[in-house]
Amino acid sequence: MISIVLGFYGQKFPGTIAYMLQSTEYQVKPYLAWFWRTNDFSKVDRRRTLQRTGRAKLIVLALRLGMLLQALLGIVLITQGIRIGQSSTIYFGLAVLLSYPIVWAHLITVPLLFAKHFVVGPKDRRLVARSKEVFTAHDAIKIAVAGSYGKTTMKELLLTVLSEGKRVSATPANKNVAVSHAVFARKLKGDEDVIIIEYGEGAPGDVAKFAETTQPTIGIITGLAPAHLDQYKTLDAAAKDILSLADYLQDKQVYVNSESLPLKKYIKPSFHTYNNKKVLSWTVSDINVDITGLSFVMKNGKTTLKLKSGLIGEHLVGSLALCVAIAHDIGLSPAEIELGVAKTAPFEHRMQPRPVGGGWIIDDTYNGNLEGTRAGLELLAGLKANRKTYVTPGLVDQGKESERVHHELGELIAKADPDSVVLMKNSVTKYIQEGLKKGDYKGKLSVQTDPLKFYTNIDQLIAAGDVILMQNDWTDNYN
Amino acid sequence: MKTIAVIFGGRSTEHDVSIVTALASIIKPLELTGEYKVEPVYISKNGSWYWDAKLKDINTFRSGEIEDLMRKSSKVQLSIDDGLTLIKSSQFAGRKQYKKIDVVFPAMHGTHGEDGELMGILEMANVPYVGCGVAASAVAMDKVLSKQVTEGAGIQSTPWVWFYAEELGRSYDKILKSIETLKYPLFVKPAHLGSSIGITKVDSKDQLMNALEVAAHYDNRVIVEQGVQNLVEVTLPIMGNDEPIAALLEQPMLKSEDFFDFETKYMQGGKKGGKKGGGKSGAQGYSQIPADISKSLYEQAVNVGYDVYKTVGCTGIARVDMLIDTKAGKVLFNEINPMPGSLYSHNWNKAGVSNVELVEKLVDYAFARWNKSQKLATAFATNYLKQF
Repeated sequence: MISIVLGFYGQKFPGTIAYMLQSTEYQVKPYLAWFWRTNDFSKVDRRRTLQRTGRAKLIVLALRLGMLLQALLGIVLITQGIRIGQSSTIYFGLAVLLSYPIVWAHLITVPLLFAKHFVVGPKDRRLVARSKEVFTAHDAIKIAVAGSYGKTTMKELLLTVLSEGKRVSATPANKNVAVSHAVFARKLKGDEDVIIIEYGEGAPGDVAKFAETTQPTIGIITGLAPAHLDQYKTLDAAAKDILSLADYLQDKQVYVNSESLPLKKYIKPSFHTYNNKKVLSWTVSDINVDITGLSFVMKNGKTTLKLKSGLIGEHLVGSLALCVAIAHDIGLSPAEIELGVAKTAPFEHRMQPRPVGGGWIIDDTYNGNLEGTRAGLELLAGLKANRKTYVTPGLVDQGKESERVHHELGELIAKADPDSVVLMKNSVTKYIQEGLKKGDYKGKLSVQTDPLKFYTNIDQLIAAGDVILMQNDWTDNYN
Repeated sequence: MKTIAVIFGGRSTEHDVSIVTALASIIKPLELTGEYKVEPVYISKNGSWYWDAKLKDINTFRSGEIEDLMRKSSKVQLSIDDGLTLIKSSQFAGRKQYKKIDVVFPAMHGTHGEDGELMGILEMANVPYVGCGVAASAVAMDKVLSKQVTEGAGIQSTPWVWFYAEELGRSYDKILKSIETLKYPLFVKPAHLGSSIGITKVDSKDQLMNALEVAAHYDNRVIVEQGVQNLVEVTLPIMGNDEPIAALLEQPMLKSEDFFDFETKYMQGGKKGGKKGGGKSGAQGYSQIPADISKSLYEQAVNVGYDVYKTVGCTGIARVDMLIDTKAGKVLFNEINPMPGSLYSHNWNKAGVSNVELVEKLVDYAFARWNKSQKLATAFATNYLKQF
């Protein structure tokens, strides 16, 4: 009780509000939703802490000043009320005094809303309009990558492989919304042979708008899974948005991952499919995967390619195979293709193995969907290890599907049968536990209440021959 | 959730090493188990006891905040009435705080802690505790006594002599005569200290007096050991009670003319002549695990390790140091350490035991030993008092 009161009225409260705004990228709606579901403001920053940027410092300063002034006003009113013997003034003064945290937690959003609608919004719209002109004028092959998962990986793989023989530019990291595309367009030199643009869908209509602006010539759809369902509501709505890329391309030059089961029913005959067995006229065989990487063979008529990659997980073979097929189509030599694939390596926080104390930690914390989780668990099940540990907080943004998705996740974990499972306590933990129970999981289960401490000290859990797979991330704004 | 007190620091030259063992290798993994409420208990260099959550944070010690904390906090008292209870005055109106302890994890190194003194208090309190008991700790921490005990069981050591520090002034010639029965190089050591503190390698007679004085400065007994030819130095962490299990035989990576002093062990990450503090701390990164020796010597050394562990009566955990004459194919007992620095977790990790698993096992061993001891009769009905 004391910590709840101190969390609300204590001196850390302005910093907490600034942290909540920063974590929600200064978006008012998710910030307010988080604010209203928070009971104890002293325990908000469990995963990270406030980055003291200029904007954050300004917000903290504004909050402190505003709160101080309101508290002083309350005290003046109470004093005045006592002096003149007017109880209504005393009560009003008390209300003013006690309400300062809640009032300023809301007032601080006013300049943000103003800036969004009158400053940032118009500026972004101008930027996007200008970028459309850049993309239209550019005569490079423009590859758009969309999907609920695996799109950043696909983009990076294409960039690495195609760069062996072509001038290639791709949207950086996971910068995948309209403004990021616009910023990317400004940096293009104009002499690129290939441009790769990642589409980060977030709400209905996003992908269609991205396609209209970036005008792709090739479309890749990496998979479909429950994600951003708070916005899309249903998986079908998400599928329609993602497939609007195919609509833009009039169903031509569209490549779809046929290993994604939910996507299958949307595949049209005119689409090209890719998977870990076949892509276009290439066949894939002799796949070998271990914790240090993977190898496979691709054949197309008389051409045989022996390929090796530092990536781990059989689910990535299909994506690599598509890169090979596209590379071949646009004129890379077999030697360039083999070299390009050999240069592919795990990306940060995506199936990234790290040797620790004679064991391995596989960091897949940027994975945020059930299909990626399934792939990771299949890899874990197939690896040889003394002890296997699986760590997850669960998946965010699952909307009304959350209970079903996390039951399924629990069952998938039980099927992979690691020696121990570590869950981070949050609103979906019980669903994962129910899934584990349904899957008759017999291993050791622990639930951590301090994720930051756990992740920071994960080396304490590992010994020679062990493998720990960490998947998904549950940032504080989802608590 | 069980409450576990981790006791560290103490009136010892290894005070600082003990802090690192407690905070990095014991408290951190214990808390990760989620099964224990960890209470840190710090014994200052002058022997005062403190109990405060801030003592779990290494920055408290690094920043010097510990001095402030000790000045402001009340000292801890112990109640040993059928179990151990920590008692301290709170800052609110002098009210006392009590914390009943279910199990103790001593993280003490060196004198007044690792040598059985602390274990005596814990035995009197009848509380389960991790590690060796009173007798094993006392024997293990006395290099003279441990050699006498193991020799009694037929375990070989390199030739050695010992004397009281106070004899150095009045009977130097007699001491010198006994030392002359040994061949150079010699190793002069304080009998009770660990972490290689006060140890000097002596290559000739003219270096001897200085080495003896250094050792006598730290301890009331001094031991002089003959060096081993064709030497490979190895160490073996072992844990368990009745059926101990060994980690991997570890070989410090040293040149033949060097030995493992405190500077090498803790300050240089094991790199002789390296930059101070430049290497990894503790035992990591400077040794060969498993030791690069023949299979038969490896097996022989492991067997000697087990023999020493059992002969000294160790329980919980210990580390046995051995000297191998590779040409003669002889494994000689050197020392035994009842609380290895940082639990030698780097070695256990390579043997497939994680830090969390290590502390869990050690706590389990503590309860197993305590449960066994509770079955022993401590009362005997007689008419003896009626005679008076």
